[in-house]
Amino acid sequence: MATKQILRAQLRSYPANGHSAYLPQVRKIVLEYCQKLPSSTNTRTFISNDLQRVAWQNPHVEFVVKQRNGHEPIARGFYVNGRDKVIPLQEFEVNGVEKKVQLLLDSSGAKIKQLKKGRLVESTTEAARGIWSGLHVDTPFKI
Amino acid sequence: MGHVSKRLYSSASKLAVSTSQLKQFPPKEAILRPDSGKPNFFDPESWATLQPPPTSALTAFAHRIGLANVLSSADVVRRACTHKSFVNLHAKYYPSSPAPPTNANLAMLGNALMGLFASEHLHAAYPHLPTRVLKAAVSAHVGPLTCASVAQEMGAVPLLRWHRQPTTPMSPALLHSDALASIPRAITALVYQEMSLQSARKFVQSFFLSRQVDLRSMIKFRDPKRALIETVEKFGHERPKSRLLKETGRYSNSPVFVVGIFSGQDKLGEGFGSSLKMAEYRAAEDSLHRLYLTRTPDHLLQVPSSTFPSKQGNIYKTGLEAPYTPGVLGEAEILYASSGRSNIVAPKRPTLEEIEAKREGLDV
Repeated sequence: MATKQILRAQLRSYPANGHSAYLPQVRKIVLEYCQKLPSSTNTRTFISNDLQRVAWQNPHVEFVVKQRNGHEPIARGFYVNGRDKVIPLQEFEVNGVEKKVQLLLDSSGAKIKQLKKGRLVESTTEAARGIWSGLHVDTPFKI
Repeated sequence: MGHVSKRLYSSASKLAVSTSQLKQFPPKEAILRPDSGKPNFFDPESWATLQPPPTSALTAFAHRIGLANVLSSADVVRRACTHKSFVNLHAKYYPSSPAPPTNANLAMLGNALMGLFASEHLHAAYPHLPTRVLKAAVSAHVGPLTCASVAQEMGAVPLLRWHRQPTTPMSPALLHSDALASIPRAITALVYQEMSLQSARKFVQSFFLSRQVDLRSMIKFRDPKRALIETVEKFGHERPKSRLLKETGRYSNSPVFVVGIFSGQDKLGEGFGSSLKMAEYRAAEDSLHRLYLTRTPDHLLQVPSSTFPSKQGNIYKTGLEAPYTPGVLGEAEILYASSGRSNIVAPKRPTLEEIEAKREGLDV
């Protein structure tokens, strides 16, 4: 009986982030603000007072500060999966801006998935205790 | 946003250059002077491709992979992220400036090191794995696709400098995944050069050898019953005998048979199926899987490269080696349908008598 050939150059392994080494998913955060408009005031305060401390605490992230006059303040996070998340900052206080920057730092960049409604849970590893078998019990069921 | 504008936006964002690191923006070659007679050959996309990634991105990358102490300067990281195909493109647009250092030598060294670490780890972890499966497993753990995937997960895609090359009569096309795969290999070589072989092995262990690989799907059988008989004979046990353990619904449209294969009193494996033949086949497969996929526990795992000293020093001086107890070599695998092509028959070479007989025949 002939078996299907395995093409070695097409073989690959699948990620297990955190099993031994952990790779943070966020790579860059861009803060855009306007120099004049009052909606950017809290963002400007955050940038001048707290941003350096946040950047020192997260050396794996590239922080970019971008002046964009005439536009609303924005925090944009770039992730390793190629996606980006954009959060508008005009209605927040200074600690609110920090909270949103922390949200971007903690996120993985993946799309937000439904946790309950209509979600199929599928595992990549086999069952730890094995699948139940009616033929492998002490007293099998009798009709 | 329509799909055309979306694609333009995404390709523009990939080529986006940080202007804070440039001396002058817009660059000199982009400025068009109508009074001078020189024609303008500036292409913004090519210019953007030629700009090096900013220092902040490179240092952030070094911190992200946990090697901020090893990759001490941004130039080292820039070198690790420059593929050799970039040199031609750079020379075309900047012929007078020196060629940027590439990761070609580092990638070659790193590839050899990764192959070494993966092979010894897998051989120590799975001592009874057949040779072909071991080779396939090494490819799965440190092969080109995995290296490209790891580079993507590290976030090296915007840092890579390369130039797409089409198929020529002398060489195949250069793919993005091949250029990406050179980055983790170069980093392995850098860890080896800056630190030691042990550190390089730890790096490969944490980023490559702890990933998920399904070895079971790489083991293919032509005739598992015959392979099992030959293997059991090699190990010197009794000839395997299959016995029906449980059955249900024999004359219905969905029977289930559970067959076990025994060597004397020991059960080698068990299989289920909707026919007796199918159940026996699966039982033979299960027995061989249990042998081939025997795994050494991590606390007992020892690899030969652990004898290399962890400090840098004179290798000819004794006393620097770490203690090592070699694992017991098990039985070699059976020749049936494993390593070696059992299908192909080599042409028979003539014996010495036949050659001399031919010569005598010619002389006479």
